[in-house]
Amino acid sequence: MAKLDRLGWAAGMCFDAYGVRLGVRVNQPEILPELSALLPPGSTPAASLDVDQIYSVWLGKSQGRTRGFHLLYAGVEARARTLSREVLFEAFEASLRLGVAAAARRRVFVHAGVVGWRGRAIVLPGRSGSGKTTLVAALLRAGASYYSDEFAVIDDQGRVHAFAKPLSIRGGNQAGRRSAEELGSVVGTRPLPIGLIAFSHYRAEGRWRPVPLSPGAGLLALVPHTVPLRRRPQASLAALRKAVEGARLLRSSRGEAEGIAIELLREADPTARGAA
Amino acid sequence: VKPARRAEGLVVTEVAGELLVYDLERHRAHCLNPPAAVVFKHCDGSQSVQELARLLNKELGVPVDTDCVWLALDGLGRAKLLQRRVSRPAAAGRLSRRELMRRLGIAVLLPAVTSVLAPTPAQAAATCVSDCTGQAFGTPCSSTAPANCLCTCDGAGACLGGC
Repeated sequence: MAKLDRLGWAAGMCFDAYGVRLGVRVNQPEILPELSALLPPGSTPAASLDVDQIYSVWLGKSQGRTRGFHLLYAGVEARARTLSREVLFEAFEASLRLGVAAAARRRVFVHAGVVGWRGRAIVLPGRSGSGKTTLVAALLRAGASYYSDEFAVIDDQGRVHAFAKPLSIRGGNQAGRRSAEELGSVVGTRPLPIGLIAFSHYRAEGRWRPVPLSPGAGLLALVPHTVPLRRRPQASLAALRKAVEGARLLRSSRGEAEGIAIELLREADPTARGAA
Repeated sequence: VKPARRAEGLVVTEVAGELLVYDLERHRAHCLNPPAAVVFKHCDGSQSVQELARLLNKELGVPVDTDCVWLALDGLGRAKLLQRRVSRPAAAGRLSRRELMRRLGIAVLLPAVTSVLAPTPAQAAATCVSDCTGQAFGTPCSSTAPANCLCTCDGAGACLGGC
């Protein structure tokens, strides 16, 4: 850390998010406003310099044949070394969110997309590249409210809170960062009990043939997506248990998101299921 | 033989008759279905296999024999949830899940222990990070957890892949 500390840091900021205090320092003060726009949802400025984790952002300058790499550190750990400002900022944003997700004290972060539907949450756990955001976007277009395309933030009652960063849509003609409003939806504000947890993975020829999971199997299936599990197993499992207790748990492969969105909304709504 | 479950280094959560057991040493989570959960709960070093079978019989409300208990103990032993692994007597022959299921008639009565490795925070939240402007299809791009992700450019500026 001492080596990093000796570099010429020109400005910084501190903020709180979900009970975690994080600091950011930069070598070029003019990038602070851009970085501020990338802080995790729910961040508030903090006056104290006493932080849980410090992020160091070094903007390199290329001169002649010398390439000036942009650098990102979380504590002493190098997180990015790139010539692209876009990649630097994206890595910064992802690292900050991970820092909050791992260290939040009163919430359990599960890697999942989340929407709200008729007073209950639909949770879509999945790894990066499994099609979470595409499915969330399809659900928003079908009338659901937006909670997150990255993390289900679960409290000790098993309810899901919004983590409403802009949706990061990859590929296709809508690629880029999109707000819920751009997709004709609204951001959910109140915490919701979970109505449905659907474990699905996109396959080109996949069909939605849901298989119900027992609560124990559903809890186990959430394990690979639960960020703070190794650090806080007791609290994480207690929150997850509450979350699965009142929820339907389904597993299936799936095809295109648009086709499956209506199915998921129907599965999440007991009255619609009964009518069918 | 009086098998004993591990007393330390486990976080046990019960949900609808099943147990989720988290191993703090190995960072593995195990789901014990109801028959395996009953055996695990009573496996305190004071009950013989025959006594465990009687308890299983009583709690599940269906007739089961010691083979069912041995199957549970085998699963618990493999998952390292017992203080010491126990083995079915060789004289009793090889234990077959298929044969046991034929005898019980219902698959859900077969004890089962399912396990997964708990992720580190970086593994759980790993994501591909886009640096694909002007890059050809298939060019590797970066991720927040390089050891766990395979991310490549899609030829249209996006970094896609799976973690």
